[in-house]
Amino acid sequence: MGETQRESFGVRRHVAAFQRCKAATCRRTPKPLTSWRSLLLFFLLPLLACQPQPPQVSARLSVAEALAGDAAGFERALAPRPFVFPPDHGAHPSFRNEWWYFTGNLEGQGQPFAGRRFGFQLTFFRTGLAPGDPARPSAWATHQLWMTHFALTDVENRRFWAFERFSRQALDLAGARAEPFRVHLLDWQATSEGGEIPPLRLEAAQDGVAIDFQLAPGKPIVLHGEGGLSRKSAEAGNASYYYSLPRLPARGTVTVAGRQVPVSGLAWLDREWSTSVLGAGQTGWDWLSLQLDDGTDLMFFELRSTEEAGRVRSGTLVRPDGTSRPLDLTQARWTTLDTWQSPKTGVTYPARIRLELPREGLDLTITPLLPDQELNLAFRYWEGAIEAEGTLASSAARGRGYLELTGY
Amino acid sequence: MSRLLARSGRRYLARHPWASGLAVLGVALGVAVYVAISLANGSARRAFDLSISAVTGRATHQLAAGSEGFPEGELVRLRRLFPSLPMAPLIEARVTSPTAPGRVLLLLGVDPLAEAPFRPFLAPGQASARDAGLDFAAFLTRPGAALLAADTAAELGLAAGEALPLGRDAGSAELTLVGTLAPTDAASRAALADLVVVDLATAQESLDRLGRLSRIDLLLPPGEAGAEAAARLAAALPPGLSLTPAAARAASLDEMTRAFRLNLTALSLLALLCGAFLIANTLLFTVVERREVFGALRALGVTRGELLRQVLAEAALIGGVGSLLGLLLGTAASRALVGLVARTVNDLYFALSVREVNLDPLVLTVGLALGLGTTLVAALPPALEATNTPPRAVMLRSLLEEKSRRAVAWAARLGAGGICLGAALFALPSKSLLLAFGAFFVLLLGCASLAPAATAAASRLLAAPAGRLFGVLGRIAVRGVETALSRTGAAIAALTMAVAMTVAVGIMIQSFRSTLIRWLEAVLVADLYVSSGQPGSADGGGRVTAATLGAVALLPGIDRVNTILVARTEVAGETAILHAVDLDRRGFRAFPFAAGDPSRIEADFQAGRAVLLSEPYAWRRGLGPGDELEIQSPTGLLRLPVAGVIYDYGSSQGAVILARPLFDRHWPTRGATALGLFLTPGADTDAVTRGVRAAAAGAGQALEVRPNRWIKESSLVIFDRTFRVTAVLRLLAGAVAFLGVLQALLALELERGREVAVLRAEGLTPKQVRWLVLGQTGFLGGVAGLLALPVGVLMAWIMVAVINRRSFGWTLALEVPPAALVQGVALALAAALAAGLYPAWRMARTRPAEALRGE
Repeated sequence: MGETQRESFGVRRHVAAFQRCKAATCRRTPKPLTSWRSLLLFFLLPLLACQPQPPQVSARLSVAEALAGDAAGFERALAPRPFVFPPDHGAHPSFRNEWWYFTGNLEGQGQPFAGRRFGFQLTFFRTGLAPGDPARPSAWATHQLWMTHFALTDVENRRFWAFERFSRQALDLAGARAEPFRVHLLDWQATSEGGEIPPLRLEAAQDGVAIDFQLAPGKPIVLHGEGGLSRKSAEAGNASYYYSLPRLPARGTVTVAGRQVPVSGLAWLDREWSTSVLGAGQTGWDWLSLQLDDGTDLMFFELRSTEEAGRVRSGTLVRPDGTSRPLDLTQARWTTLDTWQSPKTGVTYPARIRLELPREGLDLTITPLLPDQELNLAFRYWEGAIEAEGTLASSAARGRGYLELTGY
Repeated sequence: MSRLLARSGRRYLARHPWASGLAVLGVALGVAVYVAISLANGSARRAFDLSISAVTGRATHQLAAGSEGFPEGELVRLRRLFPSLPMAPLIEARVTSPTAPGRVLLLLGVDPLAEAPFRPFLAPGQASARDAGLDFAAFLTRPGAALLAADTAAELGLAAGEALPLGRDAGSAELTLVGTLAPTDAASRAALADLVVVDLATAQESLDRLGRLSRIDLLLPPGEAGAEAAARLAAALPPGLSLTPAAARAASLDEMTRAFRLNLTALSLLALLCGAFLIANTLLFTVVERREVFGALRALGVTRGELLRQVLAEAALIGGVGSLLGLLLGTAASRALVGLVARTVNDLYFALSVREVNLDPLVLTVGLALGLGTTLVAALPPALEATNTPPRAVMLRSLLEEKSRRAVAWAARLGAGGICLGAALFALPSKSLLLAFGAFFVLLLGCASLAPAATAAASRLLAAPAGRLFGVLGRIAVRGVETALSRTGAAIAALTMAVAMTVAVGIMIQSFRSTLIRWLEAVLVADLYVSSGQPGSADGGGRVTAATLGAVALLPGIDRVNTILVARTEVAGETAILHAVDLDRRGFRAFPFAAGDPSRIEADFQAGRAVLLSEPYAWRRGLGPGDELEIQSPTGLLRLPVAGVIYDYGSSQGAVILARPLFDRHWPTRGATALGLFLTPGADTDAVTRGVRAAAAGAGQALEVRPNRWIKESSLVIFDRTFRVTAVLRLLAGAVAFLGVLQALLALELERGREVAVLRAEGLTPKQVRWLVLGQTGFLGGVAGLLALPVGVLMAWIMVAVINRRSFGWTLALEVPPAALVQGVALALAAALAAGLYPAWRMARTRPAEALRGE
């Protein structure tokens, strides 16, 4: 994990400092002892230079290959399936990975907040270590691990916060439930009174940064790909089940610097579960959601690959009335107009992108509301609020949305 | 001129290889002992720090309850209350494994997902995004999955997938090695060597601790925010769970062994001190030898400063070579010594394995500095002697002896002053161990400084009787000692000091041992003792379960079962050991009371209205009958008066003793750490032993059943093992003193060559010369031995009554075994005679004509 790596860099720094200190004494000692003063220095230097260091322990863990987890025993997304709600809002532990991905763009309400723009992300990731439930006496025994990311973008103050939490699914520390709906890790949660979502309440807070939103019903559930089966590579089974709630009117408060700001805007929920996704050669993906001012919503992703065959693109267009269809991606072009290099990690991400879908009459320029929306967490990626401007079906279009860039 | 001087010095040292060699050896031995002890101590301490840091990680604070741990629901509650605060729940237990005989392993149950901020090496490794923890799948999902350090796995011959069975009191659980930890540096290797890492679920299941945790590690922010968070946390804690800074745990364990380590260091410094006397002796001798040369040089215009520098440079040469040799010797010896030190720490304090010597550059530097510094300080009097005499006077031998006589008187006065100062330091009302050692050294030096004067007096006093007994030769031998004091004074002082130390350490060990035996006799009143025989029982670890206890009590042949349960809790804000005892009248009356009247307090104690303290605990906290204690219990704070203090040599940590019914009212812990069984008259011990084992097996436990004789014997075995280090040091100090005498006598031989030649010319046979020399050295040894007796007894009293008390808080009865005294005198005599053999042989061979040619 990135966290781990950062920590071990810390150790390395510490060790290096210690070695420097040792080297310094060594450099000074071999001089011939010409005077009493040098003799004195000889004795005192090690005392002064090398204060006792608190021991730090570091080690590399290696788990025997044969004993590490694999996909055996998990179900795979091989064919379209019927979706049943509310049960499908809950967890699918027979698949290895699953997420509840909330993003959204918001605007401050009332004086003096009117016009202040915010972006948020609240994501619950579930990973199954093995299929099925463990039949063990300890309450800590589980096959389910949870990772949650909470990020907030304050456009006016050009601030971006990102937090992460981990927990196993045990003792009600984390988990997902369909009825009444709840997905949570400690007090970061999305809840509903019943099984139907929306309505939903989203809550997350850490270090003086918080969100608390009510999400109202917007457009109905949209199934991506082939009736919800979203292929990620040519290999069968490298696919996910994928649906979205693309337009959720949000209302509530954002707290920054200890100050509550009433906000409203639009949120987007992505639901996806799978066992294996990436095929050989696939290095990462770019994903985009857009809520256009005319009521149209768009989802587009591209899996990048070192081989042309591994490059997979897919997209969905959701009309203002809620009906949807796959985007025609023939001759699609995804062009990076500008890049941004993270000062923290040194990684360069696309910063302005032009998306052209000639068959759809779509030509949009996508600009992040803030260049630095990099989540430098255990897993490092860029995910942030964007706006888009250009043409759709040959008429002017503009809108807001979220962009995810991984594997850079 | 200075080059000439230097050459003259070098030539002199080269022409006297024996004298210079012995001086070098003296310094080397002194430095070696100090370095070896310091390295051994340092390595033990480092091993300890590392084992702590492996389990503490980067935690700033810890939440812990007593030895029983606390319900896991507390973690859930606290994580919900403080969701942003990094918390790592842990389960800890000391375990043994048949796969690793003789090793105590620390089983650490962790939640890997919580470990990144604390012990990053236990957190899931780098994985592709959205695949968190995949490499930890086996570790988390396989029941019994365990990780070991790669080295440990190799030592135990375990490969991944193989079983690591645990030997435990309740059945035996089996772990499976699923992976290894490869330490990235030597320190980490040492830290992880005895760690068995498992998931929380596995820890709970294999230790039968379902629903419970041992500890929560916390990472509080620094400064005010941290203090505020700590305050909010503390307010949210249930009774029994307490918040402590992580450093406090390490510090309290470190504190426990501090006295032990300081004692060893002091003993090693004593060896160095003996070495210093040796140096002083050598240099004094070389200066005396060259008085004509120096006189001539002075007459030729060499200044005092140049001469002083020359003598000091010679000293520095001896000191430097000796110290370097000492470093080598000490480093080599430390490898042997570290095992002894670790063994003692294991016997007395806690499980600790020290596998390697940590060559601390600081210790080596200090050793070098001590060796050189001591040499230069010891060389100062001879150097001043060489320079402060006017050129002409230097050439006169009679003047020299006259001066030396004055020096002896001065040394005696200084010695008396030292004794007074030492006594005054002891009289200071303080518990400081360092101060006690300071006073001890001042006193010892004072006594040693008196030795030359006492020898002179004895020589004057005994010359006439010796003359009557052995004729003129006896008289010459005895009187000769006084006239040669300029060369023998320091040797006598060194020998006296070394013998006194030997006597003192002998008396101290004997006093300690007899006290322990008497105490064991008094306390071990039951016929049979039963325990789990598992590690960590002194800390509330292995336990006889309540089920076993019930079954044992019903066995035929058992009249009464007394029990003791050891637990940890907070007392007066610090972690303390609790002994909850269920005793009948016999058991209670067997307590050897140091304070308090047993007949008056028995009722209060048994009814749970008062507690007893063990002596070390009472001493350390300055508590006694009538004081009140605040004891943290799961049901809240108990306030109880102290009714009495009992002698307890079982641990230097000390314990608070309370009646079992009181404990049962406030703690959930059941079972017992050990049982004392009183048999009905006529019952067959073996039959009962078998019965107890069978009853325990029926309740799923394997127990150790031992007759009280066995406990006494094994206690003494441990005791003797503990003092093995001390015995080794005592031997080394003796060796240094022996070198001193040998060297002084060799000096005498050279010095007195002409004198002997005159005697030979006057008709003395070589045989008579041999007797003369041996008689003289025997006299020297006898005087030093006799002088050492009162000094040794005084030193022993100080060790027993002051240093031991300040180190461990124990009261020991001083016992002076005549054998130790006889041994002391015999040692001094033997050393002196053995040292005299070679000079006697050489002197007897001297041809008078050759020796007189120089006249």
